Amino acid sequence: MAKTTADATGFRLSALAALGILVLSPVLLILYQSFLSGPFFSPLSTLGLDAYVYIFSDPDFYRALGTTVLFALGTIAICMPLGAVLAFLVTRTDLAGRKWLEAVVLVPMFLSAIVLGFGYTVAVGPTGVVTLAFEKIFGPAPWNIYGLSSLILISGLTHVPHVYLYSSAAMRNLPGDLEEAARTSGAGVWTVARHVTWPLIMPALVFSIGLNVMLAFEAFGLPLVLGDPAGVLVLTTYIYKLTTILGVPSYQLMAVVAVVLLAIIFPLVFIQRKLLSRSRRFAAIGGKGARVTRIRLGKSGQLIAWLGIGAWLTISIVFPIGGIAIRAFVDSWGAGVNLLDHLTLNNFEQLFSIGALQRGITNTLLLAVIGGALAVGAYLIIALAGHRWSGAGHTALDYMVLMPRALPGLIIGLAFFWIFLFVPFLQPLRLTLFSLLVAYIIVGLSYGLRLIQATLLQVAPELEESARSAGATIGQTWARIVIPIIRPGLLGAWTMIMIIFLREYATGVYLMTNGTEVIGSLIVSLMASGSLDTIAALALISVVMTTGGLVLANRLGGKIHE
Amino acid sequence: MQTLKITTCAAAFQAMTLAALPAHAQQAPEGYPADYVDLVTAAVGEGEVNVYSPTDSEQAEGLIRGFETAFPGITVKWNDVASGAVYNRVVSEAAAGQVGSDVVWSNGLDLQLQLVEEGFAEPYKSVETAHIPDWAQYKDTAYSTTVEPIVFMYNNTVFQEAVPKNRKELTELMDTKASELNGKFATFDPEKSASAYVVMENDVKNDAGFTTLVDAFGKARGKVYASSGQLREKVLSGEHPFAFNINGAYAKGWAEKSSNLTVVYPEDYTIAASRTAFISKNAPNPNAAKLFLDYMLSKSGQEAVADAGLPSVRSDVSTDNWDSVNKEAGGKLVPIELDAALLEGLQPAKRGEFFRNWKKALNQ
Repeated sequence: MAKTTADATGFRLSALAALGILVLSPVLLILYQSFLSGPFFSPLSTLGLDAYVYIFSDPDFYRALGTTVLFALGTIAICMPLGAVLAFLVTRTDLAGRKWLEAVVLVPMFLSAIVLGFGYTVAVGPTGVVTLAFEKIFGPAPWNIYGLSSLILISGLTHVPHVYLYSSAAMRNLPGDLEEAARTSGAGVWTVARHVTWPLIMPALVFSIGLNVMLAFEAFGLPLVLGDPAGVLVLTTYIYKLTTILGVPSYQLMAVVAVVLLAIIFPLVFIQRKLLSRSRRFAAIGGKGARVTRIRLGKSGQLIAWLGIGAWLTISIVFPIGGIAIRAFVDSWGAGVNLLDHLTLNNFEQLFSIGALQRGITNTLLLAVIGGALAVGAYLIIALAGHRWSGAGHTALDYMVLMPRALPGLIIGLAFFWIFLFVPFLQPLRLTLFSLLVAYIIVGLSYGLRLIQATLLQVAPELEESARSAGATIGQTWARIVIPIIRPGLLGAWTMIMIIFLREYATGVYLMTNGTEVIGSLIVSLMASGSLDTIAALALISVVMTTGGLVLANRLGGKIHE
Repeated sequence: MQTLKITTCAAAFQAMTLAALPAHAQQAPEGYPADYVDLVTAAVGEGEVNVYSPTDSEQAEGLIRGFETAFPGITVKWNDVASGAVYNRVVSEAAAGQVGSDVVWSNGLDLQLQLVEEGFAEPYKSVETAHIPDWAQYKDTAYSTTVEPIVFMYNNTVFQEAVPKNRKELTELMDTKASELNGKFATFDPEKSASAYVVMENDVKNDAGFTTLVDAFGKARGKVYASSGQLREKVLSGEHPFAFNINGAYAKGWAEKSSNLTVVYPEDYTIAASRTAFISKNAPNPNAAKLFLDYMLSKSGQEAVADAGLPSVRSDVSTDNWDSVNKEAGGKLVPIELDAALLEGLQPAKRGEFFRNWKKALNQ
């Protein structure tokens, strides 16, 4: 065993160091900022705990913290089981229409949460299209989309794709022979799922729990749109308030909340590591090529599955995307409005007349497609560096990977803005897309890396060991054995990262400049001047394009595999 | 539609060639001092001007084109900087010795003055100052460039009450029908939006009864939102059929697009907010910066911005301007003056007091 790591130590350590610099520089900057009385670059700022005293004596902070914990737990409780079941149905059973479903499942991830929340308002808000239609027929609608419970429900349902993506990548690689064996021994569909499939995909699920907890902690868009009107305050919306409370922007206060968010990941990663400490046991891709045999659901099984999936699709996709689509084509909506009288194409016209938006579309596509590929390359290097590596280095890696996820995108963007501004040799890069790419790579780190790691975990050590004993170096083993095996995982990671980069909005707010505009951040200023009609048109185009791209990628991917 | 576009293009082209002449020949614009030519020459030598502004490029398009047409050889580089990020960007870049902005133009009036006070702006007495009202000038450095009335807006299909015409009527309505109109009112959130805070600060100054209004708003369980975009949709859809402290420059445009929106200029007084511009200290293109600031305040620059929906502070323009807005406001338009009061509003103690009262009223 010692031999498998021996000749890669240099590579592993340099990858770890590079990751350390990338992740820790913004984190340490924020930590330092939290102990100051003003901006870190101001000569008037002094060291002290004033900012901590301010935050920890503010009752709103505790209220926000409590709500955030509830919100995170609730989101997990909903998205985890549903995401895992959905992944199982799509990858392991003969569910009708699964090919089609595969392309559609990810749609809730295509939009930034703020736009998604707005879509819900148009569809099922108090004056939403569905709500008004329901009230016309049945009387007062029994739902209210504002408030903590609706927020949790919607957040849980729209995070199902995150879980799906991770667990389906793992499930796809399961050897069918294990399930087959269980089936021939007389086990039913659900017994197989529980006793055979479940333990094998557990690592992927544990990863996605960790990720989704962090996602919930740093969620901003949904709490702003669905929580704020009901007075539901979470840590991120609390940060929003802090920016103006003292007059000039008080970054030390924001930094304190960011440090609190960072502190949360330590127990989380600790638990995660405990659960996964025996993960080697679950390595499932052995030397023998195994054909996947799909479990037959039967007629009633299909029906039940589709009833559930149909309900989920309606709430998580039809409502929000439908709402956005409607808003894109009308100039008025809501109570007392007949939508057919207000149809218009004007909302799209503006898109093609604004220079910054056109630059924004080009830049966003560049960042997503090419930047996304570069990001996956970087994640692969880090994943390999941590692969079959135990000890302090690996522990550090586990913690560092989740750190950036604890920070809201706005704060990561701000930290990198400062880094590119104040580190002399980085200064020329600040005004290029490169600065955005670096920040984006950090934002996407935990998503992308986890996808690759989860697949790596499933590669049985025998494969590598036999290559090594046949005389291959560790580099050759990775290049010829490991990487080809995890190729589907890499493609999945690239897809995921493209989606994340396309919709990212907060990170660019501080970083973007003339010539490096990105769509997500332009949306922020459109929102400020009220152009939600333009935003809806833009969002709709983006959903259609992303879905199209995904279908295309699936087709191409499918051909590659054959 | 197509022919309309062609004629507009042709007209624009004509205007371009005509306007281009003086700059090419390097003559000072009419009425400007003779040595202005030197400034133009120096600015053309710099070749570009960087503007930081939360005004989105859709609204700035006319201004950008107008300037580039008037002064060929200078490119306008528009930087879409979110309202809350302007101050940070200017201060950080200055601290790093990497100033990227030539002109900073923002609706965060208090923070703009704060930047002037902290020495991040370069004093420049614009050649246009004679045409700019006193309230819109600060220490020959910062200039307010627009008139943006702060108005009521309501949904005329959903809102069935007698429409309140002033704050007193609004207060009475929210107070007497608090339960019936529960959750029907909305306003801009002063806790999340710095410009909403500045407006409310002026409300308190202009209206002794404003705290009663906030109380009544809390009693009627009114809702607050952090962006014009959210407010527009909430009123448009009838979720909250009535809102106050809306930016009327935007609202007027929305009402033109959607027939169920109506704008009301409060008859007791209508605050005129604005956006203020100054030249950055150590600007990379100091001459182009002066030229751009002068152009922003000039007749044609003001008309270009007014055409995009933000009325002019000048009275001698053919577009929407101070006088026309004041007329719509029944002569009760009150500007937010660029003065020390704006800076006082940034004091944490003063804000703390305001927010305590605000929260108390809202959480009753």
